[in-house]
Amino acid sequence: MNPEGTSPVIAEFLQFICRACGLIYDEAVGDADSGLAAGTRFTDIPDDWACPLCGVTKSDFDPYTPPSPDALCAKLPGCGPVVSIRQRHRAGVLIVGAGRAGWQMAEHLRAADADVPITLVTSCAGDVYDKPLLSVAMARQLAPEKLVREGGTSAAARLNLRLLAHTHAISISADSKQLRTTRGTLRYDQLVLAHGAQSALPTTLPASLCWRINHLGAYLRLRAALGDSPKNVLIIGAGLIGSELANDLALGGHHIVLLDVQAEPLARWQDMQAGRQVLQAWKTLPIRFVGGVKVATVEKVASCIRVTTECGQQFEADQVIAATGLQTPSRLAQSAGLAWRSGISVDPKTLSTSQPAIHAMGDCITIDGQPSRYIEPIARQAKTIAAAIACCEPEPYEQRPVVVRVKTTSMPLTLH
Amino acid sequence: MNPADILHECVVPTLPPADELLAAVRSVAQGQLKQQVDAIDRQGLYPHAILKELAKAGAMSAHLDSPQGSGDYFLAIQAMAEASKVCGATGFMMWCQAVCGLYLQQSGNPALMGDVLTRHVAGVGMGGTALSNPMKSYAQIESLLLKATKVDGGYLVNGTLPWVSNLQADHYCGAIAAVAGSSTEVMFLLRCNAPGVALRECPSFSAMEGTGTYALRLQDHFVGANDIIADPAKPYIARIRAAFVMLQCGMAVGITQGAIESMWAVEPQLGHVNQYLEDRPDTLQAELNALVARVRKMAQTPFDSSNEFFIDVLDARAHGAELCLRASQSALMHQGARGYLMSSDVQRRVREAHFVAIVTPAIKHLRMEIARLSAEEMPA
Repeated sequence: MNPEGTSPVIAEFLQFICRACGLIYDEAVGDADSGLAAGTRFTDIPDDWACPLCGVTKSDFDPYTPPSPDALCAKLPGCGPVVSIRQRHRAGVLIVGAGRAGWQMAEHLRAADADVPITLVTSCAGDVYDKPLLSVAMARQLAPEKLVREGGTSAAARLNLRLLAHTHAISISADSKQLRTTRGTLRYDQLVLAHGAQSALPTTLPASLCWRINHLGAYLRLRAALGDSPKNVLIIGAGLIGSELANDLALGGHHIVLLDVQAEPLARWQDMQAGRQVLQAWKTLPIRFVGGVKVATVEKVASCIRVTTECGQQFEADQVIAATGLQTPSRLAQSAGLAWRSGISVDPKTLSTSQPAIHAMGDCITIDGQPSRYIEPIARQAKTIAAAIACCEPEPYEQRPVVVRVKTTSMPLTLH
Repeated sequence: MNPADILHECVVPTLPPADELLAAVRSVAQGQLKQQVDAIDRQGLYPHAILKELAKAGAMSAHLDSPQGSGDYFLAIQAMAEASKVCGATGFMMWCQAVCGLYLQQSGNPALMGDVLTRHVAGVGMGGTALSNPMKSYAQIESLLLKATKVDGGYLVNGTLPWVSNLQADHYCGAIAAVAGSSTEVMFLLRCNAPGVALRECPSFSAMEGTGTYALRLQDHFVGANDIIADPAKPYIARIRAAFVMLQCGMAVGITQGAIESMWAVEPQLGHVNQYLEDRPDTLQAELNALVARVRKMAQTPFDSSNEFFIDVLDARAHGAELCLRASQSALMHQGARGYLMSSDVQRRVREAHFVAIVTPAIKHLRMEIARLSAEEMPA
């Protein structure tokens, strides 16, 4: 614009697009290779001029206005005039974790829907086994291969699912419904997190010296390390897992020292005098319980491991096992922005997380902030989620009080 | 040369505010860089002047601590993205220069943190990083190629490194050598014009020819105390590894953004057929925005040395590489023949995106390292 109206107004430079190849002729730039100086108007271009890229003539050019992405985006209703194939294609259900929860989920889902594509991602080998038997197998000295109920590959074939074993799930892009793994990125329509919990190791206990027995892989390595002869084993933590391991390792012929910060084992069930009963049951076994102590250091000394408590007591052992509780790894939940209360927070009836299309079950969830890391609820949880995903009649999940059986062979305990 | 001139050249410019810095980078990128990108990509033109301009604007030092406060990693990544949108090779060389500055500043060696760093920040001194091999060595992928032998007052280093970028005769780079007779490594500033150092031309690449990439052959090259970046190198690498990898995200973000813009550019003419393609610009943009938000958050704690954080950074870097492969390929399919012309930035970006996917750490290295770091440690 020229407010005074005196000097000549230079019209804005225009652009023209070649219909054949998309080359843009910009009047401001010209076409030096064809001898057109910057500022040459399209109308002034000789008719024998050819598109410098594809050779078509001037008449094959149309006026061109560079599009603005915002305006174009606004033109696309939703995600485009037609939902793209990426979204139309059925990615199916992705299950993370191949423990009892993951496999139960796959079983129930396949029963509810014969066709839905199922992919199971797990950082372990994917074999089907019963975790509570890991401890019992020590007592009975069962051959490790007897623990695997069904190989992962054959279970996958039976359920017609894709098993990605030895694959770590790293993060979730919830908006684009993708799970990022160490073997590539997988899309999903529905995601079920069944990756369980991990051993929580206090900073005073070095991972390189303390076993945690929460899956078959670690168990097999501990069995190999223990060998065939009786060993001195020190167990830190006398909760349910620590007490069962002590019991079963003692039955397997090993000498056990069991430490806990509480005065008695199974202190969570103090009102039922569980500790007193279990100590009674262990009277004939080589188990020495030392209560009221906190481990200060764990160090390698020659061929054994020395554990020193804060009060100065020292113990030496061939192997040390930490049974110091579980915690849910938060990486996946955090990446998807899932609501979190000491675990993945799920709806008590539907087991859905705070994100649409993501359910969670098993040891990784909490309901009203409470985890419930037992076997019994898992199958019922799988049923609830399978019904929701397969759009069957809803199967609302129901929380029930858990009955815990402590597998001490001489005096089985049932705790409520 | 008059010492006063050097001093004048070496004055670190006060870092401009973020928007001014980005505007300056954009102006270089859309101006000179756009004109030279073809020559850089195919004829091997090393854009020395452009890199100097970008350095002067503060683009390769935004992440470094200055008297004004701690560095801004996200700003450095954004600046790299602005250039990468136009020229992936230049974005890559900005990363080389940026990490080399990081090496100098984190060295704790007064001989490297004074004049050498000041000149580097100003773009008077330029350099790269010969850490591809050591990074793969730490991830247990290959063994170290340079060997150092302790001698009076320092080390003698021997060996050959393939493919070190952003080098010229008067440039330098950070390098790591295994110390003979020990299980440690030494990291040092390797000057290309020092005695016992020879630059050797590499065979042509399929893209990004102008990245100043050479093989470095070292024969009894002496490294004295003044050039030591870290000895031993391992704890130092553990400290800077996340920052090193994180900065690379700038390339992926820029190339992806460039590809998305090429898709929009043909939407009015070709939208009616492009709707049948898997990836569309709006969905790719949403995915890129989510990734950028993730990187922005990480950039607040570049020196978090935990494994958890490093896994996050590696994963974001892998996501960037995957996204730029998808976006650049999709842009070519959106543009069709016009994008396939040798003169088109669309086909060039396909080649640049493959570089992002294979440069150390490549997608496969990233996944392998994430798997290694994710495994629960147990007694031996």
